[in-house]
Amino acid sequence: MAGAPDVRGSGPAAGEQLQQQHVSCQVFPKRLAQGNPQQGFLSSFFTSNQKCQLRLLRTLETNPYVKLLLDAMKHSGCAVNKDRHFSCEDCNGNVSGGFDASTSQIVLCQNNIRNQAHMNRVVTHELIHAFDHCRAHVDWFTNLRHLACSEVRAANLSGDCSLVNEIFRFHFGLKQHHQTCVRDRATLSILAVRNISKEVAKNAVDEVFESCFNDYEPFGRIPHNKTYARYAHRDFQNRDRYYSNI
Amino acid sequence: RLCLLICQLNTRVAFFIVHWLADWGRAWRAGRPDMADCSHWQPPRPCEAYRAEWKLCRSARHFLHHYYVHGERPACEQWRRDLASCRDWEERRSAEAQRSLCESERARVQAARKHILVWALRQSPPADWHLPLPQEKDE
Repeated sequence: MAGAPDVRGSGPAAGEQLQQQHVSCQVFPKRLAQGNPQQGFLSSFFTSNQKCQLRLLRTLETNPYVKLLLDAMKHSGCAVNKDRHFSCEDCNGNVSGGFDASTSQIVLCQNNIRNQAHMNRVVTHELIHAFDHCRAHVDWFTNLRHLACSEVRAANLSGDCSLVNEIFRFHFGLKQHHQTCVRDRATLSILAVRNISKEVAKNAVDEVFESCFNDYEPFGRIPHNKTYARYAHRDFQNRDRYYSNI
Repeated sequence: RLCLLICQLNTRVAFFIVHWLADWGRAWRAGRPDMADCSHWQPPRPCEAYRAEWKLCRSARHFLHHYYVHGERPACEQWRRDLASCRDWEERRSAEAQRSLCESERARVQAARKHILVWALRQSPPADWHLPLPQEKDE
């Protein structure tokens, strides 16, 4: 569940193999800390936790990508509660966030999320992982293909690989460059949370790419911007009429 | 009295046969979507949605997005045909328009489902999705 350089990783889970736990707990040090209560909302206006909470609230209320994902998850029986399923924490390295399948919680790295647009993308990315966890038997910890598939989908559908974002990363390319970006970012995301070689990660992505790149659920299309996301949300809300009349 | 009894029996039998035929007809039509009852069928999307999709598909921005993802120009003709069918059905309740729309949308659904999934889908959500966090449980 990672993307780079806004790298995201999976949190540790009970029963996880030692090497994965070693990688994950280095990225999310507070995940394993006991008795580490979340900072309350009473901190000063300028703490990173406060900013994270405010940005998260704005994302949940206004972003069309996220609103569709929340609706789809509710429809699948996984209604999302902001206080239960999101956590703003400090993270090591360049990580922006992660999905912890062991606690069904999305971790947002308050020290690495730069602005509202970044928050929108991180939340969308992690909610795609959460959506996959909700609708399918995803073996996050021992099946590399499953992890690779979810990372391909998240990179593809969250806007991570939009033309503008790639240009800002100084990755210039046009014809089918989106697919190159998705492969690369999915590979980097896997490497962030698994102690494996780049070759192994790349092979896992290649194996599942054809299937997972074309899995557009719940959007039904690749949402290139908010207009596409709004259209996708409209279609989702219309699905009863749609399927009863074809 | 015997004649009256026979008349009543015939009326009841006739009543039964008429209703059985009506039920059979409805079941037969339900099994054939192209013969669906026009009073209940409506286009899968509002006509305005077809127009919006066609307009978006033809835009320069979409051309750029599509080329960036797929390396080729987008095909928008089917949206135009669907819009025409939708309007045709709204104006004339055309059976041909209904058939064309159904066929087009089924093709879209088939195209979206043709890839084999990497994982097995769940029948129910994860059992621990709504459970409190471990530290909350301890408290």
